Amino acid sequence: MSLLQEEREVILNNEYLDSFDFAEVEEFVRNASRELFISHHFKRNEKMLVQPRGGFPTYKQQYALYEFFVDAQVDVLPLTIDSNTRLNDYATAQKMLRLSEENDKDMLNGYPLVTHGYRTTRRMITHFNKPVSLRHGTPDARLLIETAIASGIFEIEGGPITYLLPYSKNFPLDKAFLYWKYVERVCARYSELNEAINRESFGPLTATLVPPSITIVIQLLEMLLALEEGVKSFSVSFAQQGSMLQDIVTGRVLRKMAAHYASGTAYSDAAIHLVYHQWMGAFPSNQNFADQLINLSTIIASMVGADKIITKTREEATGIPTKEANAKTVADTQYCLRILNGLPEVVDEEEEEILSLEVTAIMDAVFSDPADTLWRKVFNSIKNGVIDVPFSPHIINQNEMITIRDADKNIRIMERGKVPIPERCYRYERAQCDLSKDRTSIVNDIIHDIGIMQW
Amino acid sequence: MKVVTGVVGNDIHVVANRLIDLSLQARGYEVFNLGVNTHLDEFFDAVVETGAEVLMISSLNGEAEGWGREVKLLKSKYQGLDDLIMMIGGNLVVGSGNPEDIVSRYKGYGFDLVCHQIDLNTGLDMLQQFIAERSGS
Repeated sequence: MSLLQEEREVILNNEYLDSFDFAEVEEFVRNASRELFISHHFKRNEKMLVQPRGGFPTYKQQYALYEFFVDAQVDVLPLTIDSNTRLNDYATAQKMLRLSEENDKDMLNGYPLVTHGYRTTRRMITHFNKPVSLRHGTPDARLLIETAIASGIFEIEGGPITYLLPYSKNFPLDKAFLYWKYVERVCARYSELNEAINRESFGPLTATLVPPSITIVIQLLEMLLALEEGVKSFSVSFAQQGSMLQDIVTGRVLRKMAAHYASGTAYSDAAIHLVYHQWMGAFPSNQNFADQLINLSTIIASMVGADKIITKTREEATGIPTKEANAKTVADTQYCLRILNGLPEVVDEEEEEILSLEVTAIMDAVFSDPADTLWRKVFNSIKNGVIDVPFSPHIINQNEMITIRDADKNIRIMERGKVPIPERCYRYERAQCDLSKDRTSIVNDIIHDIGIMQW
Repeated sequence: MKVVTGVVGNDIHVVANRLIDLSLQARGYEVFNLGVNTHLDEFFDAVVETGAEVLMISSLNGEAEGWGREVKLLKSKYQGLDDLIMMIGGNLVVGSGNPEDIVSRYKGYGFDLVCHQIDLNTGLDMLQQFIAERSGS
């Protein structure tokens, strides 16, 4: 028996899980409908796929949510996991699910997939026969993704960096790399049986003034970490940043760089996709304004040429959105996409060159770390500040980079910290900022720049 | 002047914490930022370890109310903290409450300065004034 299989048996022999039937699950994946695989839909390349967010505690509620989504012509269904399951606290998830079922009151902020189990959840997924995307935020997702794939969920979001730096203060980053290596390997193995399992990185990170160079570098590194374990379908992603031009430039450079780095490896047969998140920062509480913002995001996603868009709702500012609000966004986004025709191509060569140089310089610095494997190189680069994510709560993050918006709302690097931004690019970035201000008024500007969409 | 700061309890709201750090540095303080999700005893440990003169605790999710009454007891277990300036700010109750009641309640818990839903720079001005008045008297 392989080492991986031994580890899988340990992980799946869990008191919170019914017995896991490896042979049966393999048969299920082998014979599963191709419609369930988002990688199959990407290959058909007919339109930008629309995927909302959403997860409710009970089976009944989740089923009802999916019915609403299907009525609204959804392309990809979401399954968002509750926070207890994300932190591997299955006992609390179990208790809160019972309370939610008995009292008709939501005690969980998502669907506790491990608690429901794959036999139950698979009935729902195969009934709707649409691709489902697993949305979580789990550093140790081993049990969760085994349960997901066994349920018929063939897209797994996340990664060791993007699911850790925005969400955790002190979960050990080196452990996260190893746990995600398991995830990649399991996805790769199942991908040999049918269409490929798609892995998607979480580009929005903290959604708070993250400069595009940092976003792109982390997307490329998570992509390479997945490909080197045998993943054959991968989505890089980013979220609306605040300037249409910067989003277009980011999309072009991200696509170009992803193709470049993937082709330079032994895994050049992998398919790479681009995903765009509607605005992930603080939303306006005025719901009509929120609708405008969502619509604007859809237009920019089209300009970017995204393969998939992940939507928000008009209730974003007030809490977990209802299924009605969620379905409304899906219908609105589909309508907007239908009427958006004849989009111009926008190119800004100078901005693209600057961003490409920044990305290349950071990637080179990561690759030249003396460690023996890629994940260790990346680990060291985060630890020593070559990669620095603004507003990450994690203790390993350097927090030395300071970013601010310029007059056109592009995110600019004012202080690079230890990130190896080349001199020429750094001068360009700083030339866009107003450096004459004192620090106190700069902090006020940052507060304003974070909440840019609320006014 | 040395300041220990952080977000107390199970509270991951990091944005304001980073901005407090930047603003304190801009005003010339030496900052020891413990970040989010910090336990009360970790704050006092850090004060002892760094010899800080100011402890600035922040809270956004309102849970501070839950452990506020433990502050005096915990502080009394440490030696040499009698002159420590204790400040707390952010959103200090779950739901809403009368601001005057909130301030006097937290002063009762042992805080010298209480900033409930007050603008960051206003709060830091209050700290500066407090330090000036104390050194003058």
